[in-house]
Amino acid sequence: MDDRPHKAHRPSQSGAKAEKKAKSKGKEKQQGFNEKAFAPKSGRRADRQGRRNVERDQTRLHVPLVNRTPDDEPPPVIVAIVGPPGVGKTTLLKSLVRRYTKQTLNEAKGPITVVSGKKKRLTFVECNNDLNSMIDIGKIADLVLLMIDASFGLEMETFEFLNILQAHGFPKVIGVLTHLDLIKKAATVRATKKALKKRFWTEIYQGAKLFYLSGVLNGRYPDTEILNLSRFISVMKFRPLVFRNTHPYVLADRIEDLTPREQIRTSKGKCDRTVTLYGYVRGTNLREGTKVHIPGVADLDIKSVQLLGDPCPMPNADSERRRKLSEKKALVVHAPMSDIGGVMYDKDAVWVNVPGNFTRGNTDILQGEGEQMVMDLQDVDETLDAAVARSQIKLLGSSSKALSIGPSNQDTSLDDDDDEESSESEDGSESGSEEELDSEDEEGNSDEDGDEEDFPLGEDQLQHGENTGRMSRRTLTRSVPSLKGKEKQNVEYAESDSDLGDDDDGAWGGKRVRFDAEDELDVPSDEEELSDEDGDQDEGSAPRWKVNLSARAEAASSRKPRRKDWMKLIYSTNLSPEQVLREGAGVSEVEAVEEDEGDDEFFKIKKRATGDEETLDMSKEPLNSDDLKQWEDEEMLDSIRHLFITGSSGSGDNDHGGEEDYEEEGGDFEDLEGGSSKPAGEQPPAPVDTEEARVAALTAKKEALKRKFDEQYDDPEEGPNQDFYTAQKDEISRQLALNIAEFADIQDPAARALVEGFRPGSYVRIELESVPCELIEHFDPHYPLVLGGLLPAEERFGFLQVRLKRHRWFTKTLKTNDPLIFSMGWRRFQTIPIYSLDDHSIRMRMLKYTPEHMHCYATFYGPVTLPNTGFCAFNTLSSEKHPGFRVSATGVVLDVDKSVKIVKKIKLTGIPFKIFKNTAFVKDMFSTALEVAKFEGAHVRTVSGIRGQVKKALTRPDGAFRATFEDKVLASDIIFLRAWYSVQPRKFYNPITSLLLSNKEQWAQEHAMRLTGAVRIAQGIPTPLRADSTYKKVERPHRRFNPLIVPKKLQAALPYASKPKLVKAQKAKDGVRGTYMQRRAVVMEPEEKRAVALMQQMRALRKEKVQKRRDKKEEKREEKKKKEAKEEEKKESKDKERKKEVMKTIGMKTKRDAEKESGGSRKRRKKV
Amino acid sequence: MASLGTIVHFSGHYHFRHRLVLSILSGKSVRIDKIRPDDKNPGLRDYEISLLRLLEKVTNGTVIEISVTGTAILLKPGIIAGGSLTHDCPLSRSIGYFLEPVVMLAPFSKKPLHLTIRGITTDDNDLSVDLIRTVTLPHLQLFGISDGLELRIKKRGSPPEGGGEVQFLCPVVKQVKTLNFVDPGKIKRIRGISHAVRVNPQFSNRMIEASRSILNRYIPDIYLYSDVYKGEESGKSPGYALSILAETTNSALYCAEATSKPGVAPEDIGLQASRALLSEIKQGGCVDRKHQTLVLLMMTLGSEDVGRCRMSAPTTRTIQFLRDVKSFFGISFRVATADPSDPDCVQLLYSCYGTGYVNANRSLA
Repeated sequence: MDDRPHKAHRPSQSGAKAEKKAKSKGKEKQQGFNEKAFAPKSGRRADRQGRRNVERDQTRLHVPLVNRTPDDEPPPVIVAIVGPPGVGKTTLLKSLVRRYTKQTLNEAKGPITVVSGKKKRLTFVECNNDLNSMIDIGKIADLVLLMIDASFGLEMETFEFLNILQAHGFPKVIGVLTHLDLIKKAATVRATKKALKKRFWTEIYQGAKLFYLSGVLNGRYPDTEILNLSRFISVMKFRPLVFRNTHPYVLADRIEDLTPREQIRTSKGKCDRTVTLYGYVRGTNLREGTKVHIPGVADLDIKSVQLLGDPCPMPNADSERRRKLSEKKALVVHAPMSDIGGVMYDKDAVWVNVPGNFTRGNTDILQGEGEQMVMDLQDVDETLDAAVARSQIKLLGSSSKALSIGPSNQDTSLDDDDDEESSESEDGSESGSEEELDSEDEEGNSDEDGDEEDFPLGEDQLQHGENTGRMSRRTLTRSVPSLKGKEKQNVEYAESDSDLGDDDDGAWGGKRVRFDAEDELDVPSDEEELSDEDGDQDEGSAPRWKVNLSARAEAASSRKPRRKDWMKLIYSTNLSPEQVLREGAGVSEVEAVEEDEGDDEFFKIKKRATGDEETLDMSKEPLNSDDLKQWEDEEMLDSIRHLFITGSSGSGDNDHGGEEDYEEEGGDFEDLEGGSSKPAGEQPPAPVDTEEARVAALTAKKEALKRKFDEQYDDPEEGPNQDFYTAQKDEISRQLALNIAEFADIQDPAARALVEGFRPGSYVRIELESVPCELIEHFDPHYPLVLGGLLPAEERFGFLQVRLKRHRWFTKTLKTNDPLIFSMGWRRFQTIPIYSLDDHSIRMRMLKYTPEHMHCYATFYGPVTLPNTGFCAFNTLSSEKHPGFRVSATGVVLDVDKSVKIVKKIKLTGIPFKIFKNTAFVKDMFSTALEVAKFEGAHVRTVSGIRGQVKKALTRPDGAFRATFEDKVLASDIIFLRAWYSVQPRKFYNPITSLLLSNKEQWAQEHAMRLTGAVRIAQGIPTPLRADSTYKKVERPHRRFNPLIVPKKLQAALPYASKPKLVKAQKAKDGVRGTYMQRRAVVMEPEEKRAVALMQQMRALRKEKVQKRRDKKEEKREEKKKKEAKEEEKKESKDKERKKEVMKTIGMKTKRDAEKESGGSRKRRKKV
Repeated sequence: MASLGTIVHFSGHYHFRHRLVLSILSGKSVRIDKIRPDDKNPGLRDYEISLLRLLEKVTNGTVIEISVTGTAILLKPGIIAGGSLTHDCPLSRSIGYFLEPVVMLAPFSKKPLHLTIRGITTDDNDLSVDLIRTVTLPHLQLFGISDGLELRIKKRGSPPEGGGEVQFLCPVVKQVKTLNFVDPGKIKRIRGISHAVRVNPQFSNRMIEASRSILNRYIPDIYLYSDVYKGEESGKSPGYALSILAETTNSALYCAEATSKPGVAPEDIGLQASRALLSEIKQGGCVDRKHQTLVLLMMTLGSEDVGRCRMSAPTTRTIQFLRDVKSFFGISFRVATADPSDPDCVQLLYSCYGTGYVNANRSLA
């Protein structure tokens, strides 16, 4: 029984178990998307749903915008932390820095850049409570952490900041609620959160992210919350903002004063400074020669820009590998204004900050890398000579690897200027590393002295630029004592070396030979070519060089078609255009060099060019008959056949043939060289080339045919896919790819900067000249220092017309000709606007005050800003004395012009002094006849509405004139002339120079234009009161009008209808007789008297009776009313009762119905 | 308060027009001195003065200061206003001299330009109005300036007396498109206009015939129109000319023209023009040599993207223009051989990063 095998399990095929299993299986299947679940019930609903979906898709689309920030190495995202004082900004900043760098920040000043991810860096900026800072931050921040004190609620500054953001392109905003721990009751916390969220959402958008931070632990927010916040920051996507996408800008994270100390001392610190600013380029490419505006300072010219190594580089594979080895050094932070980091890299120096006091040999305290570096430098036990010797030997013996330890060589060379060997080796190493980078377009050029001078300099810069990078710095820990000053000397030396090369060609040749021998690099340098050409001068140098010469000459000739470097010829020489061209025409370059070298000849040529008066500025070149003659030749005519569609279709052979013709004409130089000695390797490739070319041409042709076919037959299907939106997006991405690809092969950073400027994301050092000394003296790292690049148009001044609306929270109205502070473009400035409205599209009519709840135009004098730029305006920027909402208006720029046409209404009044029929003489309107002459034909009007025209000036009272009217005017009428008087905005532009003050918020008090009233109060001057302007009681005399009297004669002549009907009711008045009935005397008989009395009595009785009856009826009516009201009430209550009953039953019914509908499912759920 | 801003200095009368144009477009003031100081008739010529007047009309707020001797001028540019204008040219230069700078400025004005300009329509020095109409304006279309761009030749006027009249209409753009024109394609058609005013109308046919004798071998699609203007419309002096252009499959244009000279038969003029066209075709590229500066300017003013154009070697004007563009806009072109793999390639590829010039004059109100 034991060994009997168990029965295998057989799952039941039917019954409850099987059903259950089947059900669960079915459920499993349904875990994914259930199509049926959202299927519409009816066709109409399906239709509606479809339309809704399409609409929703449309709302998701945005206008395609080009993002100029490169994707591969973008600049750090600027995260601004903004909020009212005491809300916990610094705490948040410290927590975030701690999260990213694991370093504790003692004092946060200026921007702090950290690496936050593989391809992402963040720059944190804390914004203080000054409105100036808020404006500047609002213009540059990519992401705003808007901090709100939950225990207090939203504050005015927050709203102001949001309005500033709105005016300058809304960046992303994350709300952060703090101080939630101060609220005791949980229910209150919940309610507060809800209320604040609601308010926040109405301000930004429904669903805007709001974060809640609870209490502070160890001076930081809880790590988990900060971690969550950092995750949200890292996934944030940014839509490019139009203004920032058209302007380059730099948030300076470091500032240095380069002014000579002596100059500062002699001028007692008041001289203009030369200043360098450091930061990442953002926005668009920063070009040299652009003007920049530093908000709070001034417009400044960039003197020079240098590319520096990235102080906070993105992690690459190499650095990642190192990170695992020593976790500590991994997290890079760059905050030169704060106290972390400690090592700073300049163009030509490295600065090490040592906090507190420092003692050597104090090994128990951990040294920073900077300190370690300095100590390494001090720990040298050999002399300089020895080091020099060693380095020399090393260099000679080693291969390219030894060349990479450039710094040591440089260091060794600096003591000893005469030491040619070392200087050469240094130069060799330099050019060697450069040549590895250089592409071939660098090679065949540089025959002029000019570029010789230019380019070695560029190389030096490149060298130093590279050396400043963090990556390469580690190699600097050499055992040669070299301090900052010495390094500087070194740089000078390098420069002088390149200079030296010019006058001493032999040295150059020698140098290069040495390099060739060691380096075995085949790419010839510029100097090489030079030496080729003036080889005769090089004879005195080393024999090794001679050995190489022939080979190199061959190599040079093999690279026969010597292309000239047009860029160099055009941009970095001072040859005249004619000379540049002549060089292109096939004059051998040796000649050209000679031409340049002989100074007198150079000038002669220029004389010839400039002295020729016949050269006109014309676009057509005169037809050259000799040139045209060649076209009489049949062969010549045939040679361009391939350029026509009828010509043999683009085969490589024909193309080649055509170009050979060119050669024959222009390239006699090549022929000369070609005959001498071509390397054997050069000739065979030609046939191969043609073969390959044929194949390539064939494939290209096939490709084209296929494309054509596709276009013809495939497009109808692809058409709907390629809608406008996707087409635009494709176009944008294609252009961006082209932008990157086009200049990708330029390796020399100087040349690259020349053509495309400095890309966003590169760390640069910008040198500015004539910076006001106050910027340095009163520099405060808590205030952001922004360099905003200006477009060419924005350097100008003009009249700006803007559309403006007073902010509805600003309590006062704005008045024409009152100064107003604008924040527009990069600038903040005070100016005097004139408000106006468009009057029936006929004229711009001045307004005294801005209208309520309505847009109006404002025109003012200021710096040109591109139309469609938003702005916001303020009456004052200071927080003192102005507790209310400070953003007084917002709007957008509409128009830029050099003149304006705004008019205001003016009414000239006069009085008639002599009236004829329809003519009147008017005085007191003008003062001279000349003025009248100007207004001849103008329309005038009387107050009573009689229209007329100015005719001609009168001689006698000066300024009086004759006017005709459509009717006779009264002598008492006032005649007025409506005219328009043009008003000009005042040319007042007052840039806000808040950064130049020691107390940055004092600008309004010290430098702003004040209102007249404010000045009067400050000066204690009473407001002048003109007697005319005072209000008096208006006394209007009663006017008597005489009756109209129609003369009797006229009356008689009038027809009856027109006769005045003067019959009045006849009444007996004193002296006037009444009618007969009125004036007759009545004497009654006694009987009559009685009868009358009886009648009177009866009438009285009847009257009373009627009255009584009426009263009774009234009473009865009242009673009836009361009764009815009672009944009504009863009825109503009954009705109510009945209705209640009915509703109850209805409710029950619907409830039952509903239950019926959902009943099954509920039951099922209960079951399950 | 208004600072003068940056002033760019030049000396000599050369390249007068494009320096003024660049100054007005960039907003930088320009100072040109030593204008023919050693000439027996020193200073500005009448046509240069006339050009300055024309620019003053086209712009608003431009301040032009000319020294007493006329050898130095200072131009503080205003904004380009446009609108409806009329200008009478002196007889020393043809309309082309005045129209070329206006063509460069007009797309960036505040209001669409409607310029009526009178003078000589065709001469040896400058582009004739025919070429401006058929070649220069299509070049603007490469940059998205097309709707309402028109040149109407109302009357023709030959030197020396002139008497021609043209109307130039140009729309306003916000920003020009970036050019990427590398492949010129092959020539698919040849068009031409020959005109003869106040001479035997057969002259134009004779020119056409002579020209066809050369061009017929290449392509059948040749139309050379004989444009006849009679009576009042034919100006005050006799003259005839032939302007021809070749269009490629990618609508690159090459053009040439020849004008009547005393003692030269119309056949020779026809031959000259067609040979000049052939040499222009041989130069190749996507833009012919007469329009290099126009295209380069528009590339400079393009959006902040890389624009590329393949052209033949620069002319002296172009070289100076590139240098001047650098001093006004800070833009340097990359000028490299168009086909690095082909050692014999004489054509060059001009590429640059546009300035992102936006028409600040255009009003939204």
